[in-house]
Amino acid sequence: MTAALETRDLSVRFGGLKAVDGISVTVEDGRVLGVIGPNGAGKSTFINLITGQIRPTRGKVLVGGRDLTGAKPWKIAAARVARTFQINKPFRGLSVRDNVAIGAMFGAPGGGSVAKARGVADEVLERLGLSGVAELGPTELSVAHAQRLEVAKALALRPRVLFLDEAMAGLRPAEMEPQLELIRELRREGLAIVVVEHVMRAIRSVCDTVLVMQEGRELLTGPPDEVLADERVITAYLGQRYAERQRAERAEAGGSGPAVADQVGPRPEGETRAPG
Amino acid sequence: MAATSARPGMPESESESAHPELGAPTTGPPKAAPAGRTTASQLAGWALVLGLLVICLLAPKLFIPSFLRTLSAVFMFATLAQAWNIIGGFTGYPSFGNVVFFGLGGYTIAVLMARSHWSFWPALVVAVVLGAAYAMLIGIPTLRLKGHYFAIATLGVAEGTREIVLNVPKVTGGGAGITVPAVGPSATTSYPGNTGFLYYFLALLVVAMLAVYAIARSRFGFALRAINQDEDAAAAAGINTTRMKIAAFMVSGAITAAAGSIYAFQQVSIYPDRLFSVDITVLMVIMAVIGGSGTVIGPLVGGVGLQFLSEYLRQNFTDYHTFIFGAIIIVAVVLLPEGAVRFASETVRQRRLPIMDNLRRYRL
Amino acid sequence: MTPFLQATVYGLLQGGLLALVAVGFSLVWGVMNVVNLAHGALAITGAYFSWQLHESLGLDPVLSLVVVLPVMFMVGYVIQRGLINLVVNAPIWMTLLLTFGLEALIVNGLLLAFTGDFRSTRTGYSTNTLALGGVRIPYARLIAFGLSLLLTVALVLFIRNTKMGLAIRATGMDRTAARLMGMNVRHVYAVTFGTATALAAAAGSMIGLVGTFTPVVAGGYTLQSFVIAVLGGLGNMWGALAGGLVLGLATAWGALYLSGTLVNAIAFGILVLVLIVRPSGLLGKPYYEARAEA
Repeated sequence: MTAALETRDLSVRFGGLKAVDGISVTVEDGRVLGVIGPNGAGKSTFINLITGQIRPTRGKVLVGGRDLTGAKPWKIAAARVARTFQINKPFRGLSVRDNVAIGAMFGAPGGGSVAKARGVADEVLERLGLSGVAELGPTELSVAHAQRLEVAKALALRPRVLFLDEAMAGLRPAEMEPQLELIRELRREGLAIVVVEHVMRAIRSVCDTVLVMQEGRELLTGPPDEVLADERVITAYLGQRYAERQRAERAEAGGSGPAVADQVGPRPEGETRAPG
Repeated sequence: MAATSARPGMPESESESAHPELGAPTTGPPKAAPAGRTTASQLAGWALVLGLLVICLLAPKLFIPSFLRTLSAVFMFATLAQAWNIIGGFTGYPSFGNVVFFGLGGYTIAVLMARSHWSFWPALVVAVVLGAAYAMLIGIPTLRLKGHYFAIATLGVAEGTREIVLNVPKVTGGGAGITVPAVGPSATTSYPGNTGFLYYFLALLVVAMLAVYAIARSRFGFALRAINQDEDAAAAAGINTTRMKIAAFMVSGAITAAAGSIYAFQQVSIYPDRLFSVDITVLMVIMAVIGGSGTVIGPLVGGVGLQFLSEYLRQNFTDYHTFIFGAIIIVAVVLLPEGAVRFASETVRQRRLPIMDNLRRYRL
Repeated sequence: MTPFLQATVYGLLQGGLLALVAVGFSLVWGVMNVVNLAHGALAITGAYFSWQLHESLGLDPVLSLVVVLPVMFMVGYVIQRGLINLVVNAPIWMTLLLTFGLEALIVNGLLLAFTGDFRSTRTGYSTNTLALGGVRIPYARLIAFGLSLLLTVALVLFIRNTKMGLAIRATGMDRTAARLMGMNVRHVYAVTFGTATALAAAAGSMIGLVGTFTPVVAGGYTLQSFVIAVLGGLGNMWGALAGGLVLGLATAWGALYLSGTLVNAIAFGILVLVLIVRPSGLLGKPYYEARAEA
């Protein structure tokens, strides 16, 4: 069974800078891959390489076994790969409904007339709890709604592979749970999902595997709990001295100390930050 | 670094109706309007259109010949503005070289009729096809550019094409121009005269209006608007932006070429400087924008309004008319940056004159 | 050899002058994202200004710059602050149309005031030429070239070394950040436009010195400024100089080997080619990527 998404040695250079260097991942249907890393690690660039905004200088992108390396964004969409953008890109002059309908009109298999697409859009909006704001303009939405609109636009394409680029950004902890539940649902429905995040809670709660990027390269790949406790990852995010201090404290406390997840990102409600 | 939209200054809140009906702008989310009122205003709109159409059809009976010529010019410019609207207004690619299709159309007619003794109608078909083809040709490289760059590139192509036409006198007559055989034994098609041309231009205008109206409510129109508002997101949503842009440019080019063809036949003698004049480009842009780019009736309003204004000024202030026209353009751009149609619908919606709103929104 | 050499020298001299016309245009576009279609008209206004001063007071065009520069600076300042500022935040074609209207206003105003007759600012040395190795160089052209270079260098020094120059550069890079740093952006923009106008007017004065002019040629100079600005990269002063020289040479050589009217086609061909192949110009950075705007 070919993987929904596979990249092999995917790389891009801008002049002398290797923004993404030799990333190889596989995502099966119904699996969630988390991608984390400090700012500038190349996470969004990695997504852009796969979804066609940037051409890779080396490597391959395979969607369901088909080679789509360097294909234009609309060809990628036609292959049922959908994405959200880190900085939301709504169509400001269209209603929320029409924003979502665009994807159904052009990206979903079989396309659709305006009326049919609007029907699909209504379904998607219903699922994401946005029916109430369907008539509004995107600029009138709250942050939480705006983030969900971004996801809705992607879902309108009926994707097989879904990229969520910092879909939790700006959300309060209470607003995050519905978003996470949605991801779990989509996973159950068989989508292959790639989640780029800074919010470690999200990573821990929905990802099957986590890829850690640093300076364009893969630092580590593995299950969330392992990865988030790994010293190299802590070093990458918080620096060497902190990692050493953590190691010392953990040794004192007998092996179970705070991991990266507890230091980076918003706290789940009710918990207080561990001392140190 | 903040993500920049290729078109800075996109206004924040667009709260206009998305119903692509005659009177309302086609960008912006729909308003919850009471159903009865919409139907009534729609009916009123259609009634108005029908009434105007009837007047136009009766024009030769109602008006003097010089006014018929003015009316023909009004129809022609409204058509040009509407054609520009497709690529500039809906798609958001401000072409400053659309006159190249106008000139191409005109010269195709002239060359085919004068040199090869074609009659007008087959030549018109060729002109329209050539207009579309040329749009595809120059669209492929230039539609990769955005904003100012696209504007200048198209301007450059138009000027360059004019130069080329100027420099192949054997075909085009060069700087001396070329004359369409309109009277006497060599005339292949009888000259339609004032009335005939009035109807030709009116028919073309109706075609252009129908085209834009159809585009506005179609998938194609949605694609163009999506490209206009966020090209990256449009591509990610599955829109083949390259194909759509070129298609829009081709439609624009075809209609513009048709206008140029009829114009050439009407003028009988044409010159490169006139047929490829930058002034025509700028006029069509101004008409579309001041009327309301991206709307269905905006360019019609702009074209009609500004052309009549221009005629009036020309006749009554012969020495100063361009000066005054320039001043009016400045005032209109500053006060109505969204165009007259949107201003009107905002006025109706807010029940006040939102003049200062525009100023506040766009000034530094 | 001599016709070629003559054309080359002429091309360089004309190119330097064109660079002075264009450098302000490029600066305004690069810093403020305003494409000023009235730029050529402002240059020609300078030509008429110097001409009139020469007619009324017998003032040499070079000396008249002492008056023309500051006065036209103020004219530009007022135009920016009072008019163009009103649409700076609007979609691009707003400024294009506004400046087009301005151009119509200025050109027709000049036509009304001075008629369309060809004018020229004839001085005592206008017809003198320098003969150098078989090549004839009119003194006037040499002076115009020298002054153009001087003013361009002065502009570069101003932009690089003064506080206002720094403010202009900063505002050009990120208007919002500049405001947050306390800069009065309206004033900075107005100074930028005023400077551009003053330089264009100076170039106009030189145009009057070396040849003839009427209000109608204004559009041609605006178009040439486009080409030069794109060639050299927006906001890039040295680029404008390089672009001017390139255009001057291309035009001069073209006139030598091709019929006169094809020369313009060459200029546009270069322009379109550059836009497609390297939109950032020969020396510049990619514009839409390089600007950081909130």
